[in-house]
Amino acid sequence: MEADREDAAKLLRGDTSGLAGLMTRHQDRLFRYLLRLVGDPSVAEDVFQQTWLQVAEKIRRYDAERPFAPWLVTVARNLALDQLRRLRPVSLEEADEPAAPASGSDPLERAMTRQTTARVDAALGTLGPLDREVLSLRFEDELELPELATTLGVPLPTAKARLYRALERLRGKLLTPASAGERR
Amino acid sequence: MTAHVTELLAPASAGTLDASESERVAAHLAECPACAARALEWRQLAEAMRRLPQPRPQPALVARTREAVEALVAERAERAFNRAALAFVVGLAWTLAIFGWLVFDLVAGELALRLARPIGSAAAWYAAYLLAGWLAAGAAAVLLGRNVQEGRTV
Repeated sequence: MEADREDAAKLLRGDTSGLAGLMTRHQDRLFRYLLRLVGDPSVAEDVFQQTWLQVAEKIRRYDAERPFAPWLVTVARNLALDQLRRLRPVSLEEADEPAAPASGSDPLERAMTRQTTARVDAALGTLGPLDREVLSLRFEDELELPELATTLGVPLPTAKARLYRALERLRGKLLTPASAGERR
Repeated sequence: MTAHVTELLAPASAGTLDASESERVAAHLAECPACAARALEWRQLAEAMRRLPQPRPQPALVARTREAVEALVAERAERAFNRAALAFVVGLAWTLAIFGWLVFDLVAGELALRLARPIGSAAAWYAAYLLAGWLAAGAAAVLLGRNVQEGRTV
């Protein structure tokens, strides 16, 4: 965090070596987050670049007393959601129909026995952007619930509900073999 | 047997239960094979989520992004410098204009005395002199700005 603060201060002074430090530490996580959220590598790349440009533009608004990563994710999130709304002006909640409810443990057991990481990845791709986002933030970035809520800009109960709903949907997708193989 | 904990299995897999809920789930799973099997499925799902491939940005994208940001920062610095320079020049110009009037008035009075005839309104001469000066400065600024723009687009 200290390194982030120093690099942000450098960037504020117009010293681009600060940018290099910030990018080195945060680029992988940012790119993964964007890819999960928007689902399309070319859009993710576009938003990735826009995000760093916005960081350079808005670095004055960054509060150096707080961690840099959540601020960065908020900048990226706003840009990504704007982009998604332009590309697909429908609800971002879900990619398609709601997942089938779980019907007993047997089909799921069979599905889970067959499941591989690739299959979960494919199923994840069939979820809506906001579901992918919340799952990625919890399981890949390992954000705790309060951080998750802050990052999503929602109250804690909403963040919880969104996380569990996304998990249920993912599970539902894994139970529905036809949809698990398609990406969006 | 304790009550089923179906609704807590997803939160359990996400690691977001509080202590009392965790105890409740653990106690129930110890005595309910059906819920234990479901809990295992949820855990497997959560583990698979944690093992997902981790995409990384291409080096070319990173390099392109750095270049774009560096260009933006340089442009911003240049704009800030230009604004400061403009403010300084305008301030200097007004200072010179005000003090210039005093000098001009003195010189015009002296000239009129030496020529022993009026040379017209000193204020009018001075206004014309100022106007010509400002027009010349404006034209120079426009030409300079155009040259800089052309230099950038080449």
